Amino acid sequence: MQFFGGSEISPSPPAPTASGNNAHMMYVFNRNGVCLLYREWNRPLHTLNAQQDHKLMFGLLFSLKSLTAKMDPTNAERGNLGVPQLPGQGCSFHSFRTNTYKLSFMESPSGIKIILVTHPRTGDLRESLKYIYNLYVDYVAKNPLYTPGTPIRCELFNTNLDQYVRSIA
Amino acid sequence: MLFKNPPQAMNAELFTLTYGAIVRQLLTDLEEVEEVNKQLDQMGYNIGIRLIDEFLAKSNVARCVDFKETAEVIAKHGSSWLSITCFVIIGVEEKKSRIEICTGIFLEDNPLVDFVELPDTCQGLYYCNVLSGVIRGALEMVSMKTEVTWVRDMLRGDDAFELQVKLLKQVPEEYPYKDDE
Amino acid sequence: MIGVGKVKQYSNVLDKPLSKGKQEVSLSAFAFLFSELVQYNQTQVDNIAELERRLEDAGYAVGARVLELLCHRDKGNRRETRLLGILSFVHSTVWKVLFGKVADSLEKGTEHEDEYMISEKELLVNRFISIPKDMGTFNCGAFVAGIVRGVLDSAGFPAVVTAHFVPMEGQQRPRTTILIKFAEERSKVRLIYVPGLIACNVYDAQQEHDECVNALQQHGEGW
Repeated sequence: MQFFGGSEISPSPPAPTASGNNAHMMYVFNRNGVCLLYREWNRPLHTLNAQQDHKLMFGLLFSLKSLTAKMDPTNAERGNLGVPQLPGQGCSFHSFRTNTYKLSFMESPSGIKIILVTHPRTGDLRESLKYIYNLYVDYVAKNPLYTPGTPIRCELFNTNLDQYVRSIA
Repeated sequence: MLFKNPPQAMNAELFTLTYGAIVRQLLTDLEEVEEVNKQLDQMGYNIGIRLIDEFLAKSNVARCVDFKETAEVIAKHGSSWLSITCFVIIGVEEKKSRIEICTGIFLEDNPLVDFVELPDTCQGLYYCNVLSGVIRGALEMVSMKTEVTWVRDMLRGDDAFELQVKLLKQVPEEYPYKDDE
Repeated sequence: MIGVGKVKQYSNVLDKPLSKGKQEVSLSAFAFLFSELVQYNQTQVDNIAELERRLEDAGYAVGARVLELLCHRDKGNRRETRLLGILSFVHSTVWKVLFGKVADSLEKGTEHEDEYMISEKELLVNRFISIPKDMGTFNCGAFVAGIVRGVLDSAGFPAVVTAHFVPMEGQQRPRTTILIKFAEERSKVRLIYVPGLIACNVYDAQQEHDECVNALQQHGEGW
């Protein structure tokens, strides 16, 4: 066991492949569909108000998860379309790409969902999302002044997130 | 390997004494032992719903669907990883009503109770009630509603600490918004 | 049942051997427990000052016990009777047991004679915290300040102890400074604790020190 080895969080961040400014925006939802965090780095076009925007994103993920599980050719025990699933049940998708953006998605068994929207040519971001989940644990879940289920107002989390996201290629 | 990185450790004494300070504060604030038990359980629950994310983020556990498996992983590895104590599941039974029950036992020293003896005025106190709350909170976050009760408590003269975890139901994820909104 | 016999039972907590302090818990176990201490106390107060006071009270109880424990276990029932001795005991021994390291620095205040400061670049209780703007100068270090006050007070050095953020040049995060202001009457209080040596304040410091050491060796059993 290690005694207080500095402040770096574990695991260490995946090595950046090139520096860039590829991230557009990020969402964090909890298991009840509450948007805990919305952060924007580069988003010239807004068509909806914030609340509708979050709801639409959550709805998109919810339906997509249900659809991808329904289409799974390998699993015999799948439920009917629309039948509620337990988080972690069935298969799960981790990204999709359009000609203008790429959406990467991660869901923990506790229902925390992290969505990162980036440039369409960004690589596999699964490790990056895991790293962001670790940042969430250290600077949000362990922050004595954070009340679970409320919007995240943690400066330390935001600084570390911004810094890290800048390194994503 | 369950954990990619071993968690950072610290001397248990600060933890033990801080927990003692919390219990004392509650006894002063709430006066009734029964209320203190409730508050400790609530505090444990609050810890559990945060702690589960740390556990999931730093372990390789990707899904928690089966109760037996999850209870075992969370109770055993979760608590030994927290080094709270070595918590071992000793029995799982399936009841007719499809309620599953896990019984767990602490084999090693429980750092919460170092230096502790219950005075006569606090005989009804479940000093470690925070632990049952932690397990209940953590399991609820992975969709399992449980009931956690103490079977044995060394501070009350038993020969071990033992907890029973009963699965009441598994709650699927539902779309949280109404369609017409 | 498996393993039940392995747990030793003691009818009385005093029969149980005092732990050697080698048992460990994870840092996060403490972080979550401490968070809950803060969250609970937030529900019991109306303002920041009251919250800090309650955290300090909780810390005080920890500090008083830490002193008992360490004097008994690590110092053969002896207790520091000199001001600098007790300060360095807090800065090194206490810090090491509680936080796994010696504190970053121990300095004497430049403005007031009886002020001392213990500073830590990243105090354990402030490690994961972000203070929202509406909480102003709130510092969770109040808990640690309480621990320090508990140790000093129980050793016979009453003091006012507070925690402050101090911005550091070139650093993103401020460090935490624990400010210790000793109460005026400390010399009297200190001597009351030395049996048979009340008169020694007429001696000079070195003599007083030697006397204290001798007295301690003779009276080693009680305190």
